[in-house]
Amino acid sequence: MLKPHIGDSVLRHEDARFLTGRGTYVDDITLPNQAFAAVLRSPHAHARINGIDASAALAISGVLLVVTGEDWLKQGFGPIPTKSAVNKKRDGSPLNEPPRHCLAIGKARHVGEAVALVVAESHAAALNALDAIDVDYEALPAVTDARKALEPGALLVWDDIPGNFCLDFELGDKAATEASLKASDHVVELDVVNNRVTAVPIEPRGAIASYDAKTDCYTLYNATQNVHANRDTFAEKVLHVPKEKIHHIAPDVGGGFGVKNGVYPEPALLMYASRKLGRPVKWINTRSESFVSDSHGRNQMSKVRLGINKDGKFQALYTETIGDLGAFCWTVGPFTPTGGSARTQGGPYAFKAMYYCSKAAFTNTMPMDPYRGAGRPEASFQIERIVECAARKLGFDPVELRRKNLIPPTSLPLKTAMGLDVDCGDFPQVFERTLALSDRAGYAKRVEESRRKGWLRGFAIAPYMECTGGGPKEFAGVRFQKDGSVELAVGSQSTGMGHETSMPQILAARLGIDFESIKYRQGDTEATPLGGGHGGSRNLELGGNAVHQAASEVIEKGRKLAAHQFDTDEAKVQFEDGHFFVPGTNQTMTMREAIEASFDPSKLPEGMAPGGLDANTTYERGVISIPNGCHAAEVEVGPETGVVRMVGYWVVDDFGTIINPLLCDGQVMGGTAQGIGQALLEVAHYDPESGQMVTGSLTDYALPRADTMPPMTIEYYEGAPTKKNPLGVKGAGEAGCCGAPPAVVNAVLDALKDYGVTHIDMPLTPEKVWRAIRAAR
Amino acid sequence: MHDFNYLRPKSLADAVAAFKNAGDGRYLAGGQTMIPVMKQRLASPSDVIDLSQVPELKGIAVNGGIVAIGAMTSHAEVAASKDVQAAIPALADLASGIGDPHVRNRGTIGGSIANNDPAADYPAAVVGLNATVVTDRRRIAAADFFTGMFGTALEEGELVTRVEFPTPEAAAYEKFLHPASRFALVGVFVARTKSGVRAAVTGAGPCVFRETVLEQALTRTFAANAVKNIDIDASNLNSDIHGSAEYRAHLVGVLAARAVAKAR
Repeated sequence: MLKPHIGDSVLRHEDARFLTGRGTYVDDITLPNQAFAAVLRSPHAHARINGIDASAALAISGVLLVVTGEDWLKQGFGPIPTKSAVNKKRDGSPLNEPPRHCLAIGKARHVGEAVALVVAESHAAALNALDAIDVDYEALPAVTDARKALEPGALLVWDDIPGNFCLDFELGDKAATEASLKASDHVVELDVVNNRVTAVPIEPRGAIASYDAKTDCYTLYNATQNVHANRDTFAEKVLHVPKEKIHHIAPDVGGGFGVKNGVYPEPALLMYASRKLGRPVKWINTRSESFVSDSHGRNQMSKVRLGINKDGKFQALYTETIGDLGAFCWTVGPFTPTGGSARTQGGPYAFKAMYYCSKAAFTNTMPMDPYRGAGRPEASFQIERIVECAARKLGFDPVELRRKNLIPPTSLPLKTAMGLDVDCGDFPQVFERTLALSDRAGYAKRVEESRRKGWLRGFAIAPYMECTGGGPKEFAGVRFQKDGSVELAVGSQSTGMGHETSMPQILAARLGIDFESIKYRQGDTEATPLGGGHGGSRNLELGGNAVHQAASEVIEKGRKLAAHQFDTDEAKVQFEDGHFFVPGTNQTMTMREAIEASFDPSKLPEGMAPGGLDANTTYERGVISIPNGCHAAEVEVGPETGVVRMVGYWVVDDFGTIINPLLCDGQVMGGTAQGIGQALLEVAHYDPESGQMVTGSLTDYALPRADTMPPMTIEYYEGAPTKKNPLGVKGAGEAGCCGAPPAVVNAVLDALKDYGVTHIDMPLTPEKVWRAIRAAR
Repeated sequence: MHDFNYLRPKSLADAVAAFKNAGDGRYLAGGQTMIPVMKQRLASPSDVIDLSQVPELKGIAVNGGIVAIGAMTSHAEVAASKDVQAAIPALADLASGIGDPHVRNRGTIGGSIANNDPAADYPAAVVGLNATVVTDRRRIAAADFFTGMFGTALEEGELVTRVEFPTPEAAAYEKFLHPASRFALVGVFVARTKSGVRAAVTGAGPCVFRETVLEQALTRTFAANAVKNIDIDASNLNSDIHGSAEYRAHLVGVLAARAVAKAR
């Protein structure tokens, strides 16, 4: 019996399963008579496909089917549309969206683009068939850099999209910002690159599609973060079948980080193949394929200008960004460098005026989609780099300069120049607490200790302010059983974050029932009528509040039932700590007793059916919430080799109400690890000549590892729960990626300040750091 | 992975015979390179000859100033061997830093040197200590064994049985980790031996090599300062996104100095 409260570190319910190898991922599922699919992917960054001869492949024993782009078009299937929330150019015309068919039609436009699907009796036969397909490619030159793609005369990724231009975007008051910059005592300018990265979830994408001719329905098991929305797209836009005909299930999913948000071609191809062959078809992406067929993220090139007065007060911020989209708009790719990066410009600092504008371009590279933070980490990095740069150039203490410009709590609520509704928080208090944790008093001694060992020590602090996102509605269903068990079904979805723990924890805490009695369901279009899946740090904000709302409905119904039992007026019945009672009397009834009574027709009030405490509810968000916080990092830099090691790390986050600190710590650590990865290690690097992805395996794509991570101190500021939602939560999942890159990069630059090094582009690899030191010497 | 015949001979003679009888045979030692390569279908031998049950390839023996390590000895065994630790601590130290625990428990010295990956650690010890590679048919001096990128003097079907390392007066190995693969971006093995100072470099070039500039400097003075800021010719070194030839050349000097400082 476990009766947790909000704020308890309930251990993760799912971990016993995961840690003992008993999870059920797509690849653990085997359907009777299943066939195996493999995808033929373009080896070229850009090539005309003059023909595909699959006869030799089809002659291989066990090969059942080869599907080419031409075959696909003949079926009349539609392209996968983008659903970017920003879908118009500045002039109001729609963004330029090339058709994204599930297989390349006529041309391949990036390495890894799906060119054909093969299905065979065995995985081995499918691979043999891939080798036997003869594609007549005519290799074409490629463009892999968005800046070059936008230059006049650049070669075209799409013949009918001039200048490789998808859309442009602006937000804020340009004239006021320009005027304010002009009036500022100083204008500091910096080019900032947010390097292209990819998430590398431990479970690659994969799916099994099974078509049932009797019911004319598909069952799709898919390693996705978003069963409802993606089902709708597969059904309505691609395969042209009613969405009810697709039962979309995400079983255990091993990491998503945005990479599994979008609509990918393979599941649609599998559904077609299953229907055509009359048997289930399974496909699992390899790690090598994942690097060139999972969406990438970041890859923004920005020019940032900060207007600042002699007294150190920030005046204006003007950011111009070029965003790379890759070869297609993908699912919501155009949103990230536009609206996604604009909203949180300026971070937690006060500005008189801000302006953000951007352009997004097509290149012959794997397309972009959200990656943990999707625009907010980019914005956070931009502001923190320009602030550090201003401090160094103008002779301000970086800590003092930040302190001077943080939005004070007395200014809240406010609407930023980017239109962001900042309702509550205490940025100065969070900032000061982070400083206090990081033991500034002992810093000089630590610098000296490092120096004696031959290392340079650096420190930086990076306050951040971001926002949540993702689908604005969420469903929660609470269904009681006679045996006392409870089913909780929520339309948000865990890809490892621990929803099987946090969601039942909210329900158990609200109802005062046994946590262990709750059976959790998610990631299944038949478990919930709607669902927003995972993305934008949305689960607690939407799923959590949906559970909270469902619990409230259960309590309301319980009060009716209790009033009937107590033979009193419903208004007199209160509920607290798992008990219905009438104050001033000894009349009391536990929630457990109420649930039991709800199945006994003799105990029900008029109008209540047996099992009548069930609740099915949809919570709708009003305004996105504003997670914020502060990271501080200490690093050591080896001047001989340029190597950086993380030696200290402190985080104070304001995520509003903390439901489960243990799970929250996991989010902060994971986000920080990915932020450190982007800052020091990771880059999805394309060769500019060939358009090949150079870092196409884990032997070249450098991920952070356990020993990359510093010891971390994490605290939460819980003094400002948001009133934007009943739980008072602000979303926690992506904050680490906002705080870590600037904290780490600025700490390294601080270590190098005596050499006069003021800027190095991420990732800060040993060679780059060594070169910067050497150039300064 | 393509289909293959799996053979597990119980003697050296049977192993060599199995190779002779195979259409396209490959010996399998620890499989740390060969299995991934087969899984990626970049190699498809007709016969895989597993050497794990061949007694002649096992064991560590120290005799008369020679440490002889059987080809099928795992990195973990070498690292943990009290005999190796006492005779050539640098060798035990090198083995303890190869890959990760999984790799060290599976990977073998024979497999490593027969594969001769340009970034492998063991070739630096073999060349740095002037070891002798013993095969089923002859003895090959370190200087003759490694012939180029992934190339060795081994003939078709020739099987490494053991490696004999002469005990140095002092030696050490230092490497700079490749940020992604954690192979040696550069590794330097220095040894002071009765017949002179040797310095072998791995990771930096297409194949392990002796760096004479280091050896000359260290022959004059076997001290870190003698090589710390030494000029290493970068012209034949590897260049990639993780390290330019110039950076690798710089690291050779840095690592050599560190190795000399810890040599014992």
